[in-house]
Amino acid sequence: MSQKPASPITPEEARQALELIESTSRQMRRLAAYGGMPYFLIVWGIVWVVGFSANYFVSDPGTRGMIWMVLDTLGLLGTAYVVWHIHKSGVHWPMGPTLGWFWFAWMVYGALFVHFAQAQGTQLSMLISLWVMFGYVVSGLFYRSRVLITLGLAVTVFIVVGYMALPAYFDLWMAMLGGGSLVVAGVYMLTAWR
Amino acid sequence: MAEFNALIHQPVRLRIMAALHALPPEARLEFGRLREMLDITDGNLASHLRKLEDAGYIQVEKTFVGRRPRTYIAITEAGRQAFEAHVEALKALLSWEEEE
Repeated sequence: MSQKPASPITPEEARQALELIESTSRQMRRLAAYGGMPYFLIVWGIVWVVGFSANYFVSDPGTRGMIWMVLDTLGLLGTAYVVWHIHKSGVHWPMGPTLGWFWFAWMVYGALFVHFAQAQGTQLSMLISLWVMFGYVVSGLFYRSRVLITLGLAVTVFIVVGYMALPAYFDLWMAMLGGGSLVVAGVYMLTAWR
Repeated sequence: MAEFNALIHQPVRLRIMAALHALPPEARLEFGRLREMLDITDGNLASHLRKLEDAGYIQVEKTFVGRRPRTYIAITEAGRQAFEAHVEALKALLSWEEEE
C-alpha cells in the first residue's frame, strides 16, 4: 500500500481543483488560439486548395488570374478579421508589431522578386509558394511554434518534390499537399487545444 | 517535482495561474480581460495579483497604449514551475486515492 502524499486537502478537493484548472485553461487556449494562427492557416489553406485546383482545371489564364485575385482578396479580408479579433481578445504579443513589419517587408521583397525573376507558370507558382513557406518558418520562430516551423518545412519539401518530380501535376499536388497541409494543421491546432 | 502550494491553491489564484500558464510563450494577458474571465472586481483581482507577484510567480507590466493605461500580466518561469508542481501534487493525491 502506497503512502498518502503530503497534502492538506482531500482527494475530492484535488479533483475539483483539477477540473477548475482544466476549464480555465481551455477557456484561455480558446481565447488566445496562438494569435489566431489556426484561423490564418485554415483561411490560406482553403485559398491554396481552391486556387491551385483552378490552376490545374481551368485552362483560361485570364479566368485563373481572376480566381486568384478574388481568393487573395478574401484571404486578406479573413486575415484582417483575425488580426482585429486578436486585438480585441486582450492577449498581447510583445513581438506582434515586429512580426507585422516582417510580413510587410516580406510582401515588398516578394513583389520585387516576382517582378525581376521573370518566372512564369509553374515556376512562378513554385517560387511564390516557397516564399510563403519562408514567411511561415520565420513566423514560427517568432512564435516559438514547432507546429508552424514543421509545417513550413514540410510544405517546402512538398513544393520542391512536386516541382522536380511531377511538374505536370504540380498545381494539383500543391492543392492537395500544400493547401491541404495548411487546413489540416489549422484544424489540428484548434482541436488539440479544446 | 510534485509539491502542494497553498498560495496557488486558493481558487481565484488557481484560476489566474491556470489562465496564464495556458497562454502561449511570450504572450501576456490584459488586466481587464482577466477580470472578465474570472468575473471578480478590480480590487479583488489586484489583491490576488499582488500576492502572486510578491511570490515571483507573475510579472505585471503597466504601460500606455496611446493615452490609455494598460496592465499586462504574464507568468514567470518560477511561476510556471510552481504551478506545474502543484498540479502534479493534485494528480498524485488522486492517483493515491485510486490505488487505495
